[in-house]
Amino acid sequence: MKYLIIGASSGLGKELAKKFAEENNDLVIVSRDERDLNAIKSDLEIKHKIKIDVLPLNFSSINEIEDKLLSNNNLISNLTGALFPIGMMFDNDNLNLSVENISKLTNANFISIAYTIQKIKKILIQKENACIIGFGSVSGFLGRDINVTYAGAKRGLESYFESMAFDEEFEKINIQFYTLGYLATNLSFGKDLKLPKGSVKKLSNIVFNNRIAKFKKTYYPAYWMIIHLILKIIPFSILRILKIK
Amino acid sequence: MNKYLTENKKIFSFDKSFSTNITFSQPDKYKLLEKISHTSDNLINIGSNLSYSPLGFSRKSLSINIKNFDRILHFDKREKTITVEAGLTLIEFLNFTLKHNLWIPQLPGYPTITIGGAVAANAHGKSCGKHGTIRKSIKSILLFHKTHGWLNLSEDKNKEIFDLTIGGIGLTGTIVSVTFELTEIKSSKFITKKKEVNSVEDSLKLILDESKDASYTYTWNRADNLSNFGKGIVYKNYLDQNLNNFEKLKEEKNQFKPFIFPMWNKFSINIINSLYLKLNKLTKSEKNENFLNVIFPFYGKENYFNFFGKKGFIESQLLVSEEKLNSFIEEFKNLFEKFEPTITLFSLKNMSGKQKFLRFEDNKICLTFDYVNNKKNLLFMSKIDNLYNKYNITPSIIKDSRISKEILRKSYNEELTRFKDELFKFDKKRIYQSEISNRLEI
Repeated sequence: MKYLIIGASSGLGKELAKKFAEENNDLVIVSRDERDLNAIKSDLEIKHKIKIDVLPLNFSSINEIEDKLLSNNNLISNLTGALFPIGMMFDNDNLNLSVENISKLTNANFISIAYTIQKIKKILIQKENACIIGFGSVSGFLGRDINVTYAGAKRGLESYFESMAFDEEFEKINIQFYTLGYLATNLSFGKDLKLPKGSVKKLSNIVFNNRIAKFKKTYYPAYWMIIHLILKIIPFSILRILKIK
Repeated sequence: MNKYLTENKKIFSFDKSFSTNITFSQPDKYKLLEKISHTSDNLINIGSNLSYSPLGFSRKSLSINIKNFDRILHFDKREKTITVEAGLTLIEFLNFTLKHNLWIPQLPGYPTITIGGAVAANAHGKSCGKHGTIRKSIKSILLFHKTHGWLNLSEDKNKEIFDLTIGGIGLTGTIVSVTFELTEIKSSKFITKKKEVNSVEDSLKLILDESKDASYTYTWNRADNLSNFGKGIVYKNYLDQNLNNFEKLKEEKNQFKPFIFPMWNKFSINIINSLYLKLNKLTKSEKNENFLNVIFPFYGKENYFNFFGKKGFIESQLLVSEEKLNSFIEEFKNLFEKFEPTITLFSLKNMSGKQKFLRFEDNKICLTFDYVNNKKNLLFMSKIDNLYNKYNITPSIIKDSRISKEILRKSYNEELTRFKDELFKFDKKRIYQSEISNRLEI
């Protein structure tokens, strides 16, 4: 079986590539960093006797996705699943972010994913146990004065995955969506976080084992579900006063 | 600096003799390694932080942890070569190569040591009399240096830097990947034979005789009091020549966590040593042993180190020529009688190679002593330091965190000067600095 992993050069994407390779699946791994992708390819091909295609690509550019990924039949034919553990962030993602950067963030975190899904849907429908797996963020729980566009894009993505679950066309495909809290990756390294970080290795095992679940929407680490519930109960006016960071 | 993901933490050298607050970073992409390297004036590389002396950190340098670079980049079974990233641990490395009946025999004593750390320390294992140090298995190195960028190092390319980097304690830059020439290994099982000895002299004789046929010959000698000084066991590990299926080496979550109070003292050491010797006398003189037990003898026995408590220990590893060993030991015993040090471990093995730069390597006998870290022992060790010149002894700066720059200068002589000169020629700003390099003014 062959899986497409967008954002595979580090963090969760790298761990997912490792897990799916360990289970003897061929992979198409996509990221901006060709050197890292090549190192992952060598490592996993040597260890597991599988085939990995590497595609260096800027996922915030629809044109690049079209030209390099979607128009390359060798890469996308025969796919059994697509995973989108991608998260583009900017340090200055506030309400004054330039339109150009807003566009980059919404593309990489939402629009490009939706576009890719639309295009590869017809390939996946033909497969048994095909899956599309998306990853949201707890940032999307509540709009704040940081990660403004990123949070909006991730909230949009969650809604898009929910919509897929209602669509008849996607009935044959297993749709899963994980809302991610703090993970032990370089994204959280050096940050003074008040809550514990989840293990990406554990998460990648969960994602792999769930890949044939019909529809799954879950939180990781699981305690974020409770936080989300609490945030939903508290009136927005009070949250604003509390200024939750 | 936060932009490039750094964290602050308190860190200890493995022997617990030194601690400081450091800033460290663990890049997971090549681009990030390049960026991070440009965020601080001084840098140093850290792997699993298992070197006894503080080689992987300094309060003045940003420590770059390379543990995320842990991949196998190339493997050619026919050519018996492998290229791996420097953050790969020895156990991960062996779990791959042993499947193909290949390995490198120069393995330092703990399985979670990283490849980069082993190369930077020019590590050796129990078989260093036969196989020398890890230098002998290295074909090439990919190094990243803040100002020089990416450098391929080998006997043919950048030979001077290649030479400086092996055993260069991380001062030439970040070792990113290493290509090894692998050696065939027919079996991952060992047969261990042992013989009782009554003195260091006997031990030396057996080591020299037996090293010729056994893969590994080393001793365990008593040094808990003068009356039984040198009594012990000579161990010989032979590879079981019967071809057997490789069993995956099990990674365990063992912890180095020192006890609040030290458990090692003259009394406890005497009891443990007596029991250990008696047990060895009672058990068979030949037994089958698995790979982990032989190659990584302290794996699963971390409490030996934990027993030293929060103050830790000091390990002294010395290279002494065969001819001078007995007279050095006599003088050692004289000082022992006077100062009564507390020594928990004393061991001998043969070593081969050529001493160059800061490398702990020569055609000599390697002596290892572990001391409880206290004033009395430090005084005794300083008296032993004074014998280095007389007996032409080379101490290990990887193991002994207490060595002064004077002792280093006297024992490494012109090799130290050459190392410093060559390093300065390569890196005029002396970017890569550790606590040890600062203290020893390297």
